[in-house]
Amino acid sequence: MLTIRNITRIFNKGTINEKIALNGVSLELAKGDFVTVIGSNGAGKSTLLNAVAGNFSVDAGEIFIEGTNVTKLPQHKRAEFISRVFQDPMLGTAASMTIEENMVMARRRGHHRRLRKAITSKDRTVLMQELKKLGLGLEARLTNRVSLLSGGQRQALTLLMATLQTPKLLLLDEHTAALDPKTADKVLELTRSVAEASHLTTFMVTHNLEHALNIGNRTIMMHEGRIILDISGDERAGMTIEGLLEMFGKASGKHLVNDKMLLA
Amino acid sequence: MSWQILSGTLEQGLMYAVMVVGVYLTFRVLNYADLSVDGSFTLGAAIAATLIVSGYNPWLATGAAFAGGVMAGIFTGVLHTKFKITPLLSGILTMTALYSINLRVMGKANISLLNTRTIFTDFTKLPFLEDYSVMVLSLVTVIIIGFFVYRFLLTEVGLALRATGDNELMIQSQGVNIEIMKIMGLAISNGLVAFAGSYVAQNQQFADAGMGIGMIIAGLASVIIGEVLIGTSSIGRTVAAVIFGGVMYRVIIALVLQMGLKPTDLKMVTAFIVIIALVSPGIKNKVFSLRDRAGAVKGESHADNP
Repeated sequence: MLTIRNITRIFNKGTINEKIALNGVSLELAKGDFVTVIGSNGAGKSTLLNAVAGNFSVDAGEIFIEGTNVTKLPQHKRAEFISRVFQDPMLGTAASMTIEENMVMARRRGHHRRLRKAITSKDRTVLMQELKKLGLGLEARLTNRVSLLSGGQRQALTLLMATLQTPKLLLLDEHTAALDPKTADKVLELTRSVAEASHLTTFMVTHNLEHALNIGNRTIMMHEGRIILDISGDERAGMTIEGLLEMFGKASGKHLVNDKMLLA
Repeated sequence: MSWQILSGTLEQGLMYAVMVVGVYLTFRVLNYADLSVDGSFTLGAAIAATLIVSGYNPWLATGAAFAGGVMAGIFTGVLHTKFKITPLLSGILTMTALYSINLRVMGKANISLLNTRTIFTDFTKLPFLEDYSVMVLSLVTVIIIGFFVYRFLLTEVGLALRATGDNELMIQSQGVNIEIMKIMGLAISNGLVAFAGSYVAQNQQFADAGMGIGMIIAGLASVIIGEVLIGTSSIGRTVAAVIFGGVMYRVIIALVLQMGLKPTDLKMVTAFIVIIALVSPGIKNKVFSLRDRAGAVKGESHADNP
């Protein structure tokens, strides 16, 4: 489904601030895989996600989505395959536009946009039904501007928008990190249910080790631009947070007293 | 204010309102302060006047003026998107280049359209319209343009254009090429501005190389005045508001002239209108937060009425 072959990305190349953000990363995701990605700050998790999304071009290596080489495609062309939810709840929606306008824009992700009225009354019925799934009462607020919503509501809406048109790949970049714990759990539960409902191939970056083990079917750990751990199946089922920290210590050659470094 | 002055003011206001709709598209919808407006307004006037004195059909000349403005907008858009020049500088470069281009188009610093056939003289020939031809034609024009812009902003493309001005990252991740959106927005905007320029030139019966100076500020002032007086609760209302703002701006200018200021003082007056409009939200917020705090002390809650 997603094949990442030996990608390298170097920031500030040739300067004193040179940093190898991705150092020959290879990864293969099967269709329906839900992989959680952990690692300390600067490990390259978000860089890997952004490289797949097309925020920047990679210095070496190739990226394939269902056999299509997307390495050279700009971000807006990759949108045909990819849906995203960002860490910042403000980034996933257009605040000055209404809930229904945001939703119909997402519904045409990766499609040609036409010179026809974007929202008909028929669309409204469909959008309302979709919003009901969130259980946040947003179905009564279709024509409200998104700026009136809370961070958690906006993140839930973004997640819904990401799946209105089933993506081949769902990218989640610490999408619960900016929310309070209760809302974060709610959004995570929603993530689980939408991913399961449409068997989405999902790539979720998180700082929360508990989330990383509880959701999805596979966990990878990154360190200094490389994947240092890749567990799934029974090995993952028997894994604990302590076990993860220990493996991090072994694989990275660093000893961690607690999980602060990973959670930081 | 006498009826003659008032009707003249309203006529002018309706023509300038077309320009204001153009400025609204860039300034508010795309969130892009486009200074090429100063040049493209004159470009529209120059193209129309030159074609008319050369004997072309004035309606054709007006259409050509729109096309010229579209080209100017595309030029600004390409400078910004393809060559990564900042919005302000892209606009200034186009505006500066257009000053020379406009003089080239006209061949001299101004062209008189006295006693030539214009769209307005055509309209005067219609029954019952002798005295009101300018008013009626301008009103019909601005209503048609306002309606089309309103409908356009609610299409799928229109939504993508608005989202480009609101959240570039979001709309890119929805698969929209924001460079195309920006170029398109600038093209329509400058097309409308040049179109308005050709109307103004035909109404005042001359085109002048300096007639567009300060146009962007007049446009901004009009947009802000309209938004404050009418409101922005929906797209339809906002489009109506900026059109009304364009007319109101001319009325304010006329009142200022009646008070005895010289026409040469107008640019300064306009600048002050924009300064006041830009500064006042900050002052308003301060006043409101003081009032809210006073309210909170009394135990009133403002939380549930945002």
